Amino acid sequence: MNTIADITDTVQKTPADRPNDEGHLGLWLSLPAQLLVLFIAVFPILMQIYISLTDWSPLDGIGWWRAWELWNSFANYTDLAQDNRFWSALLRTLLVMVVCVPVEFLLGLGLAVLFVDEFPGRRFLYSVLLIPMMVVPAVAGYMFFMLFQSGGPINDILAFFVGQPVKIAWLSDPDLALIAVMVADIWQWTPLMFLILLAGLVGVPEDQQRAATLLGASWWRRFITIVLPRMKTIMIIALAIRVIENFKIFDTLFIMTGGGPGVATETISVYIYKVTQQELIWGYVAAIALAILITLSIVSAYAIRHVSSPEADT
Amino acid sequence: MTEIRLSNLGKDFASFTALADMNMTIADGEFMALLGPSGCGKSTTMNMIAGMLEPTTGSIEFDGRDVRGVPMARRGVGFVFQNYAIFTHMTVWDNLAYGLKARGTPRAEVARRVEETASLLQLSPLLKRRASGLSVNILQRLAIGRSAIVEPAIFLLDEPLSNVDAAFRAVMRTELKQLQRQFKQTMIYVTHDQLEAMTMADRIAVMDHGKLLQVGTPLDVYNNPQNTFVAGFLGSPGMNLMQGHVRQDGSSTAVDFGAHGSITVSDTAIEAAAAKSDGRVQFGFRPEAAAPSQDGALRFPVNFIERIGSRTIVHLGDPDNAIKIIVANQTELPRVGEVLSLDITKGSERFFEIESGQAVGRQSDGLH
Repeated sequence: MNTIADITDTVQKTPADRPNDEGHLGLWLSLPAQLLVLFIAVFPILMQIYISLTDWSPLDGIGWWRAWELWNSFANYTDLAQDNRFWSALLRTLLVMVVCVPVEFLLGLGLAVLFVDEFPGRRFLYSVLLIPMMVVPAVAGYMFFMLFQSGGPINDILAFFVGQPVKIAWLSDPDLALIAVMVADIWQWTPLMFLILLAGLVGVPEDQQRAATLLGASWWRRFITIVLPRMKTIMIIALAIRVIENFKIFDTLFIMTGGGPGVATETISVYIYKVTQQELIWGYVAAIALAILITLSIVSAYAIRHVSSPEADT
Repeated sequence: MTEIRLSNLGKDFASFTALADMNMTIADGEFMALLGPSGCGKSTTMNMIAGMLEPTTGSIEFDGRDVRGVPMARRGVGFVFQNYAIFTHMTVWDNLAYGLKARGTPRAEVARRVEETASLLQLSPLLKRRASGLSVNILQRLAIGRSAIVEPAIFLLDEPLSNVDAAFRAVMRTELKQLQRQFKQTMIYVTHDQLEAMTMADRIAVMDHGKLLQVGTPLDVYNNPQNTFVAGFLGSPGMNLMQGHVRQDGSSTAVDFGAHGSITVSDTAIEAAAAKSDGRVQFGFRPEAAAPSQDGALRFPVNFIERIGSRTIVHLGDPDNAIKIIVANQTELPRVGEVLSLDITKGSERFFEIESGQAVGRQSDGLH
């Protein structure tokens, strides 16, 4: 049996005797983890690329690895380019993003500015503000499904202000359904923006703000010239997170409208869900998913490059 | 340029008193150093002058005008922060122009004054550079320039040299003093480094535990400390302090240190002070005011010899009366254990009351 001294001896001698072994040892030790990562990340993508080049569907009765028998080259991609339902789903997704993310950002920033300084009840309100973020999206979807019923509380509140009964069919009107969905998304995800931006705001050096004040700068000038530039990195991170997350919008929306009425709220994720679960053309789904993955990767790469560049100095 | 008058100034943080009863007048164009250990209230004083803190008691007047309630942006105070607080996301030019732009100065004048200040501070070649990669001495000049460009009446500097290494500090001390001569502004300089205070300031205000202990020119504060704290805080090493008994020695009065010998004194104030505490009094002398001699008045065993290059510090005495003296390097050094006999330079003896620690007899020109 080895004593502890023996073991430490060996450990101490090894690098000196065989200096190259250290690198190999590291490789061997991390190999299982590397293989696991390879399996989790790379294998599904390769599988997806493979299937996206075929007409394979589970209904064909052959295993996915034999999908080459249904090889159709790039037909899925050429179909995708002409698929109007795909393009309108994509545009609708972008529309939701272009409205929701800036609104969430501005609301979150505004709230963060209010919460930087101490005031009575700050801790309580802070906790309350974070609640929406912790609600399971499907539950949030159900909540807003109820709220936006034509006999629901939102119409009642509107009726109170208007002074006469309001019967807006939010979720079944093709023009209004998307607005209802956006309201739900903004309600749920403004707190995340608030949280991230508050962290950034707190991190802006106090003495720089004081220096600016002593130099005669107004609050607004200080905010524009000192606070915002110093928060650049964190703002990019917050926006990137929300752009990527919002692009994938699904659960809340699916419970509220199921993509309807018709295709009025059908976003990319809903479209993919329908093609997968209802039409079962998996080769085509793989092609759509891959196209989106590439798009999102470009967005992330852009954000990461900005965040890690020396320009973004904090 | 402004005269600053602090009257009964005090600041409490909850139950903690950071500053109490501070009275001081800083003359127009004067370089005043607030000197003291950490937590002595010097930064609190400065922050109140800048308007970052409101005083709990007392008042601050600029040229006879009470500034209570005047927001810091309108006090006309230039502040150089400990870490300079340079806007590192901007260029040097933008940093310098910041205060002028905030005041809505016309663009052409901003450009002209930035050029002017930059050339005065030798920053002209760096104007286009981002401020993030600059060296510390450039940051310091930039911080001063950024405050100076809006021509503040008062300049406050909060330990601007504390982040700099020792060698560089010497260079920057000289530079700072020159900058003050150029701008001719009233400057208040907070530091815990006595060397900075002694070399740069016109007057020094020594503070401890939220109290102003003494104000005076560097030499006056050094030579005539008004209490034992100032005596021990200034100087490196500080003033030697030892307790003795006052007794009548025939026609003259002597302070007796038992086995360590005695010295004769002629000031009746010392007797009066000693009468307050059983005939005891504290005697102080500077390490450089004592010299070994054949038959000196005081005798101490040598404990330890500390060579610091330019001179040598000899540690003497026992734990109750630990004495340090400074001797030149060329002097023949005593051996450890040997009993050394010391002569104290006439006129450099100082006496303090035991209880209050206040100076007895010879006084400097007073606190205010």
